Amino acid sequence: MKKPSLAIAAAVLALALIDARAAGSVDAGKQKSAPCQQCHGADGNSTNAQFPRLAGQYPDYIAKALSDYKSGDRKNPVMAPFAAGLSFEDIEDLAAWFSSRPNGLVVRHW
Amino acid sequence: MYRRILLLTLLSFGCAPLALAQSSGDPAAGERKASMCAGCHGIPGYRNAYPAYSVPKLGGQHAQYIVSALKAYQGKSRAHPTMQAIAAGLSDQDMADLAAYFAGTKP
Repeated sequence: MKKPSLAIAAAVLALALIDARAAGSVDAGKQKSAPCQQCHGADGNSTNAQFPRLAGQYPDYIAKALSDYKSGDRKNPVMAPFAAGLSFEDIEDLAAWFSSRPNGLVVRHW
Repeated sequence: MYRRILLLTLLSFGCAPLALAQSSGDPAAGERKASMCAGCHGIPGYRNAYPAYSVPKLGGQHAQYIVSALKAYQGKSRAHPTMQAIAAGLSDQDMADLAAYFAGTKP
């Protein structure tokens, strides 16, 4: 009986820690986003359809994608070298900037 | 030599309609096929469990990018157990239709 409740407590704590993570800085992200603009557009609304729109995307999804490019879990020859040089803080800042851009992605629901 | 050039020319013209056909998805058909996507991508703020992160917004995303993502899941070059399983059952037309639907921006 004790073990499941301990596991649940640990899971709740882990989730709380994830949510408590310091959010990135929109302004710092804007400064760091110059290399991204060539493909993803100045405001994350790319005009070339092979590169995803980032404007309005959830910041933690953008951060997850960048982290996976950095670790090699997600493979892309264009993104890998960009992501390799990013710190955790850079990733959070870029995620905050692109997710804050207007006229971007929406949730289509039924 | 000339025959080879002629053959290559004919082949490349022959491929052009195929490339065009691939990109023409039907958004209405995509909407019907998208019910399997709704449980995660259709719920604002819905989160993937392990690891925890928000399931990406797809509305307004470029169709070409959506197709390339689905192909990467199907070919298992992009990891995600649920997305790989779903993409495994999709035809090229299904992918084009879904992409055309999600490229729309109506919430």
